[in-house]
Amino acid sequence: MIYWDIFRMALNALWANRLRSGLTLLGVIIGVTSVITIISAIEGFMGSVQAEINKLGPTTFLVVRVGGIITSEDAFFEMIKRKPFEVEYAEAIEDACEDCEKIAMQAYGFSPEVKYRDKKLSNVYIRGAGASMIDIVDYEVEHGRFYSYEEDYGGRRVAFVGTTIQKQLFPNIDPIGKTIKINNLKYDIIGIAKEQGATFGHDADKIIFIPFNTFAKDFGTPRRNLTIFVKARSIDVLDKAMDQTRVVLRAYRHVPYDKEDDFSLLTADSIMEQFNNITRFMRFGLIGITSISLIVGGIIIMNIMMVSVTERTREIGIRKSIGARQKDILFQFLFESFILSVGGGLIGISLGVLLGDLLINLINMDMTPSLLAILLGIGISSGIGIFFGIYPAMKAARLQPVKALSYE
Amino acid sequence: MALIETNNLWKTYDMGKVQVHALRGISIKIDKGDYIAVMGPSGSGKSTLMNLIGCLDTPTQGEYHLNGKRVSQMHDDELAEIRNREIGFVFQTFNLMPRSTALHNVELPLIYGGRNREERLQMARHALEVVNLGERVMHKPSELSGGQRQRVAIARAMVNKPSLLLADEPTGNIDTKTGDEIMGLFAELHNNGNTIILVTHEMDIARNADRILFIRDGQIEKEEIVRRAS
Repeated sequence: MIYWDIFRMALNALWANRLRSGLTLLGVIIGVTSVITIISAIEGFMGSVQAEINKLGPTTFLVVRVGGIITSEDAFFEMIKRKPFEVEYAEAIEDACEDCEKIAMQAYGFSPEVKYRDKKLSNVYIRGAGASMIDIVDYEVEHGRFYSYEEDYGGRRVAFVGTTIQKQLFPNIDPIGKTIKINNLKYDIIGIAKEQGATFGHDADKIIFIPFNTFAKDFGTPRRNLTIFVKARSIDVLDKAMDQTRVVLRAYRHVPYDKEDDFSLLTADSIMEQFNNITRFMRFGLIGITSISLIVGGIIIMNIMMVSVTERTREIGIRKSIGARQKDILFQFLFESFILSVGGGLIGISLGVLLGDLLINLINMDMTPSLLAILLGIGISSGIGIFFGIYPAMKAARLQPVKALSYE
Repeated sequence: MALIETNNLWKTYDMGKVQVHALRGISIKIDKGDYIAVMGPSGSGKSTLMNLIGCLDTPTQGEYHLNGKRVSQMHDDELAEIRNREIGFVFQTFNLMPRSTALHNVELPLIYGGRNREERLQMARHALEVVNLGERVMHKPSELSGGQRQRVAIARAMVNKPSLLLADEPTGNIDTKTGDEIMGLFAELHNNGNTIILVTHEMDIARNADRILFIRDGQIEKEEIVRRAS
């Protein structure tokens, strides 16, 4: 097969100019590596965000005062003027929403100090939540138990803690039954949550759940950041459950029939969509900027191929004199730029996947090599080889044999 | 039928304001098995004629038939195929691929001819044996003497068994003794029935041919018959 022979000629020519080929390769490698790294990192990041958001579960939605898709600055200012939530909403939804299985009100805050004897932890995420919360969120009971409706109703000072609290404050003792101080108020530990692990550098186990009413009593009801967690009976009735919830809230908040909701319902899907929207410009911008280095790699190839064609004019003349057709010469030079770009592409992809992995590990996320990035890398680099190689190759192919042979 | 037949061949170069006529109506006829020398001072147009006969260039006017094919109207790729099958070139400067072995240099026309690898290597080795370089197939041009390089070039020219061997000052870059060896090789090829056209400006070399064509100012000045073709 003649093309195989021409391919070997291209390889030999590249090998004969090792240093030059190596440097050209480096140009492509840098370009492909940076693009693949960025794409891998973004994909890994988005995947982790998705996984994190999916922890909410497919049947759960949140009712919030401010949230959802913000379309304009005006809409945003309109949104933050919305009336605060009232505590009784949860009960109202529970009464009126047939397709809602569990409802839990939540308020949250960060405690400056959590203490057990002489050990201290600061900046702990405190969630004041209804007793159903354990059935709605992703946390599970590892030891002990979650608090009951009675404990919530009675405003008892009980705490369900994450593993970081256990590890930091109770290194060698069973914390259940022990008393900790949150902002100097005493709480009895009744249960420990299963470990979540850290994501995005945020420790999901540095958390304490306390009953909603206890939170309201001890820290006040921050009405502006009340969130209602609702779990529908099944995924099929999720829409119905959301509609029923909407009706209740509109009634309670006196929303006129011709006005839009002055609250937002968020599902895992809508949160992800929102996140996608917010980060879209950043993601495409990053890929766009790094793509410039790919173009630079392509220009390097083109430049080198132009030099190579000029240098080897006589060689081309000899080949033509003994019967090389235009396409034989064209393919020889095209193969050279193709080998450089695809070779650089393959090395760049491997490096990019490794680097992307490294980057992602820095922020504690898992990453699988992105197939999209790999295919894209191969596609783009071979495209570059052909695009930037075609002009020099055509120039070589069209040389007049007589002129080429007499070239000094 | 003549192997080469040209009819009123003109080659004109357009140099902007002036037109340079390198060839002014050349009509020649060369038969199969002929051994022709082309002589003339520099600028006489003999190189242009060689380029046309060698299908490296096309005439501005006139017709050229090679082996019954009208090549004067062919385009690039058709000419490339003619060069590959019908013509073997031997240049003054050898024109070998400097980084390739003798074997690969000789194999090259066969690659472009689309022959398979085994056949190619066998033919290339044989051609190198014919020029007495059977021992040096893996040597690169830089590892060979001038005469040896020219023999590699001759092996490359002959490997495809072309109808015509075109040699442009083949002894111009080698010493007289080696030049004689090369001319001996040409005589052998001629005796084996090959058609040879030799361009030279040395009378001694030209006398090896059966017939000498003298070119001046783009025209054939005279023709001298050295010996009758046997």
